[in-house]
Amino acid sequence: MKHTMIFFAAAALLFAAGSVRAADIKVIANDSVQASSVTADELKRVFLLTRNSLEDGSHAEPVLLKGGAAHEAFLREYLGKTDSALQTYYRSLVFTGKASMPKTVGTDAEVVSFVVKTKGAIGYISSAAIAPGTRTLEVK
Amino acid sequence: MHKGVAKTLIILAGAFAVSALPAQDLSNYTSFTVDGKTVQFHGFVSEGFAYSNDNNYLTMDTSQGSFFTDGGVNVSSQLTDRFRVGAQIYDRDIGHLTEWHPTLDWAVADYRFKEWFGIRAGKVKTALGLFNETQDMESVHTWALLPQSVYPLDLRSRNLSHTGADIYGQIGLRCAGSLDYTFYGGKRPNDTRDGIYYGWASLGYPNTAFTGKMAGTDLRWNTPVTGLMLGGSYAAIEDKYNFIDIANGPVPVAGTLTSTTKWIASAYGDYSTGRWRFNGEYRRNFDKDWQVDPDPGQTDAWWYSDKGWFVSAVYQISKRLEVGTYHSRYYFDVHSSPIPTTHYIRDQVVTLHYMPTRYLSVKLEAHIMDGTGDIWASHGFYEVDNPNGLKPTTNMLVLRAGWNF
Repeated sequence: MKHTMIFFAAAALLFAAGSVRAADIKVIANDSVQASSVTADELKRVFLLTRNSLEDGSHAEPVLLKGGAAHEAFLREYLGKTDSALQTYYRSLVFTGKASMPKTVGTDAEVVSFVVKTKGAIGYISSAAIAPGTRTLEVK
Repeated sequence: MHKGVAKTLIILAGAFAVSALPAQDLSNYTSFTVDGKTVQFHGFVSEGFAYSNDNNYLTMDTSQGSFFTDGGVNVSSQLTDRFRVGAQIYDRDIGHLTEWHPTLDWAVADYRFKEWFGIRAGKVKTALGLFNETQDMESVHTWALLPQSVYPLDLRSRNLSHTGADIYGQIGLRCAGSLDYTFYGGKRPNDTRDGIYYGWASLGYPNTAFTGKMAGTDLRWNTPVTGLMLGGSYAAIEDKYNFIDIANGPVPVAGTLTSTTKWIASAYGDYSTGRWRFNGEYRRNFDKDWQVDPDPGQTDAWWYSDKGWFVSAVYQISKRLEVGTYHSRYYFDVHSSPIPTTHYIRDQVVTLHYMPTRYLSVKLEAHIMDGTGDIWASHGFYEVDNPNGLKPTTNMLVLRAGWNF
């Protein structure tokens, strides 16, 4: 009984930790993006370069972080790929002529800067980061 | 050998030094702006070394140790939200193949009307099976050599691309996932420096031209099961060979072989879960009703068929290191050839893949091969490269390093 309680407590902690990681990011967009929300499927297709517009017709251009906790959380939560798998995927498109390499930057501040100045840009940053001049998209 | 070692070390040292730059620094050097439009350029280069115990393989002198090199560079630009253009040059030096004669790998104008419908035209990589379009891209694969049963390095040019057009798109299937489709048609390439020319010339039938037309489709179902993709491809092909017969008499005779029924079909799957990735493919080639000139109208009953398949598994040990294995088999239909040979090639492979940076990779790979195929279906083993006769088994070690930007 004691071991069972410890097991469920550990499982609950792990679940809670996972939920906290997923909630530690927010998706931001350039003001040209009209939508206030985006579906997870739309977001995935934008970042996998299979579409360059949202359902409302807004142009969408992804910007990614190079690494870090927010980057790992975004890939895990919305793309279902590891960073190396995602880079391999992008290279397969670039070297077969199907797409251009999406913009990649190093910090939350650089994501915000790119999103502010680039029409249609959509990026992700840690939820604690400040993103003036952008709009936050709710992911459904 | 020393010259090749020095070349390899220089390439690796330079690649490692550049790759050590932060990613954003590298991207600053791979894009620029022209008239407000971003133009990107990217490239890749790989250097490999192969050593086999007995048979020489893939037109290389692998029994003595042989270096091989390939690389490419592309430039592209998204001109509008829907329209992009680009082109890539590719070159390689692999034994007697290509030998530093650069080719236009692809040159494409691509207009995407909707997510579910686009058109690309020009010289386009052919969507056929899991890896046909990316088989030259060492950086996107775990393996130093792709399964040769389906993606023979010496015969890549036959199906690699077409000059024509594709229609393509992704269709959402709601709860059933999504479907990526491609329909294409065009003219087949004529690579005078690939294995077909090399193999036929060694048998006394040097090709003077090889071309044809092809039309086909590739469908990929991204299933509702996370990480699982299933697909199939089919291509109808017309081949035409112009050759000179110097094998059957003192006077060379010009001839033409035209296939009237030829197709290629593939079924494949790919599954990723956690640190694991599995994939496999079955490929079948079939030729029938060859017409042989200079007797117009005569149709030989000779037909040709081969098949190949592989299954693979890869485990990602860490962010920079993965290990994988595949089993590959190739069979040439015995009824097509009067020459008794083993008719098959089996290959068991283990690979260690290390990625010290996002742009650099090093692979160490062991091949244990049984069989040498058939002399009429060049698949890596050429009698002209093995004057002492082909041995039934081949063990080979391959080291390959690559850099991309």
